[in-house]
Amino acid sequence: MPDKALPPKEKFDLIDLFTRSNGAVSLLVIALGFVFGSLFVLLVGRDPVNMFSALLQVVTGWDSSRGVWNARYIGEWFVASMPLVLCGLSMAFAARTGLFNIGAEGQYIAGLTAAQFVALLFPPIPGLHWLVCVLAGLLAGAAWGGIAGWLKAKYTVSEVVTTIMLNYIALYVSQWLTHAFAPGANTYRTKAYPATSLLANPWIEDLTNGSRLGNGLWFMLLSVLVFWFIIDRTRLGFSLRATGFNKEAARASGIKVQSAITTSMVISGAFAGLAGVIVSMGSFSYGRVLPGMENYGFNGIAVALVGNVTAIGSLLAGLLFGMLNSAQPLMQSREIPKEITWIIFGLVVVFISFRNGFKLLADWRAKQRTKS
Amino acid sequence: MKLTKLSVLTLAGVAGLLLAGCAPTAPAAPEVKATTVRLLTDATGIDDKSFNAAAWRGIVGFYGETVDQATSKGKTYDVVTAQTQDMYIPNLKQAADEKYDLIIVTGFTWADALTETAKKYPDQKFLIVDVSWVGLPNVLQAVFSEHEGSYLVGVAAALKAKAEGIKNPKFGFIGGVPGAVITKFEVGYIQGILSVLPNAKVVDYYANDWGKPELAKTQAKNWYDAGVTTIFSAAGGTGNGTIAQAKEYRLKNKNVWAIGVDSDQYEDGVYADGKSAVLTSMIKRVEASTAYALNAVKNGTFKAEVTVFDTKADGVGFSDKNPELGQEIVDAVNKAKADIIAGTIMVAATYKEAKALPGFPQDLQAKDD
Repeated sequence: MPDKALPPKEKFDLIDLFTRSNGAVSLLVIALGFVFGSLFVLLVGRDPVNMFSALLQVVTGWDSSRGVWNARYIGEWFVASMPLVLCGLSMAFAARTGLFNIGAEGQYIAGLTAAQFVALLFPPIPGLHWLVCVLAGLLAGAAWGGIAGWLKAKYTVSEVVTTIMLNYIALYVSQWLTHAFAPGANTYRTKAYPATSLLANPWIEDLTNGSRLGNGLWFMLLSVLVFWFIIDRTRLGFSLRATGFNKEAARASGIKVQSAITTSMVISGAFAGLAGVIVSMGSFSYGRVLPGMENYGFNGIAVALVGNVTAIGSLLAGLLFGMLNSAQPLMQSREIPKEITWIIFGLVVVFISFRNGFKLLADWRAKQRTKS
Repeated sequence: MKLTKLSVLTLAGVAGLLLAGCAPTAPAAPEVKATTVRLLTDATGIDDKSFNAAAWRGIVGFYGETVDQATSKGKTYDVVTAQTQDMYIPNLKQAADEKYDLIIVTGFTWADALTETAKKYPDQKFLIVDVSWVGLPNVLQAVFSEHEGSYLVGVAAALKAKAEGIKNPKFGFIGGVPGAVITKFEVGYIQGILSVLPNAKVVDYYANDWGKPELAKTQAKNWYDAGVTTIFSAAGGTGNGTIAQAKEYRLKNKNVWAIGVDSDQYEDGVYADGKSAVLTSMIKRVEASTAYALNAVKNGTFKAEVTVFDTKADGVGFSDKNPELGQEIVDAVNKAKADIIAGTIMVAATYKEAKALPGFPQDLQAKDD
């Protein structure tokens, strides 16, 4: 190839790549998380290979230490990921409107509790029952998020404070309601759900060798699409994003900022509520008096951050963290301390601040260039 | 540039790990087929210094090792901790996939997950501790007479208050999640106290959590400040908060006591040379049940049954390790123990039964379901 056909001196520059592409930063950060995670494993005298073989088993179902393939592990990977993806979407959606929704945990609990009651009290009509459960969970999550959104819009109460408080209210109200009113409830569980309320899907179950993965999967995928569609393809999404970028400018251009805030929190809450339904009707066959926070909502914050508050990013980050969660018992089985997954999780979240670091670096370099 | 160097290093590291990932792993084959066991626990894990710790001790002891020198861990026996309840079933199935001779789960929160899994793996042997209603042909169930052991520590606590000449002594009970199992601890303890001091006042509190020592610590502080002399916690990891508070106050020369649970928690209460804030502990020898099940598997005598570990079977008891207890009290408690074994003392196991006893408090938060 003749030399002159090349463009004039376009040198490949890592810093440029990382300032231009948030996805590249996320990948770098995740790789760093695993590298440091491996170092920690080495430090405590264990073999990082075992950590990676556990992760391999989660993603492919292949158990390299025994030479057995079992698709159930893939199914369970998705089961562990679904609530994380949805809570990530919840956090990300609000973040696009400039809101910091710490309340996905509470919205998750609201959705879970509503679905539990519908599952136990609604007549067991095949095909309809579980749909009503999903709907109830969506609405309850939406309402719980909506409260914080409305308070913010109407009285400018910080959504950070209200959502944190609403998390605790949700937990204790859920415990009390379930224990006091759910059919057949004792101190930790209710009676069994009717089969018509479960999200089980025999086809997927068969495909994944008896994992608990079911119809929740479709709802999760649909949620990713809905997120993307609303944010990127609708007027509503535009007004939400505009509110997120600059509230005053949005107001000046005729966007109803207050209703945008409430709407955003309602939709955000619905995602988290759905996560609650999927865990409750997908992973359990009975209602629970929650023993405490289950942390899907809080981990969703990290998912959204690593996923760069986008739909597809939250999906990928949710699958990543779901993989870590799901690999935890497999790692323990290989004598890798379970804490390593949280270390990697934590490192990824800390390193994600590199993103801003690269921006600062790029700004600084730009300044140097203009000087010279 | 520094940053580029770091990136190169990172890439090299990743490449190295990938290469290492290709190397075959060759597990060392054991010469003789030893019995293998997997312990599954809830989020608190085997470091709860209590229930799970005791189950673990029984397993490690079966292999002739100690918890600090668990050299065969990862070969013949190991443990997997579930972070959330939705991991119970996958963890059980994973253990069944990995073909352990015996899978042990502890606590009633596992009952439903176990029932579901045990049906799907009929050839896999399971042991569940603290549950008696699973009733499957491949599940051994172990239950303990905690009310009897709790009665003994109640007697010890009351005798100590009496010996110290405390006027109107008050006693506290801190539970984890309310339910039939913890109720046995509470009502047994109170019966023990009332057998010595029929007019003693007892207060109770449930943290609704097995892993929140801060809740127990706050409650213990309030009670100790309000004149409660002794607190018995049956709350897993939560109970460590009570011991922490008792240590703090004893260091300040305040005369308060904590009572340990499940394991002998004497060491946890040591605050000065040879002095412990843990007066005694209700010892529930969970290790007896795990060792029993392992022996049954080893000798081929494993069968689906409900095995009761009571005072007579040395499944429950009390600790006489704290010298502050004194020989007189130890003798008196041993007398009560002999009476329980002989059947002359009957200890009620449910709140419903206990409520019918004369002078028994009627307003406790204990639950029978």
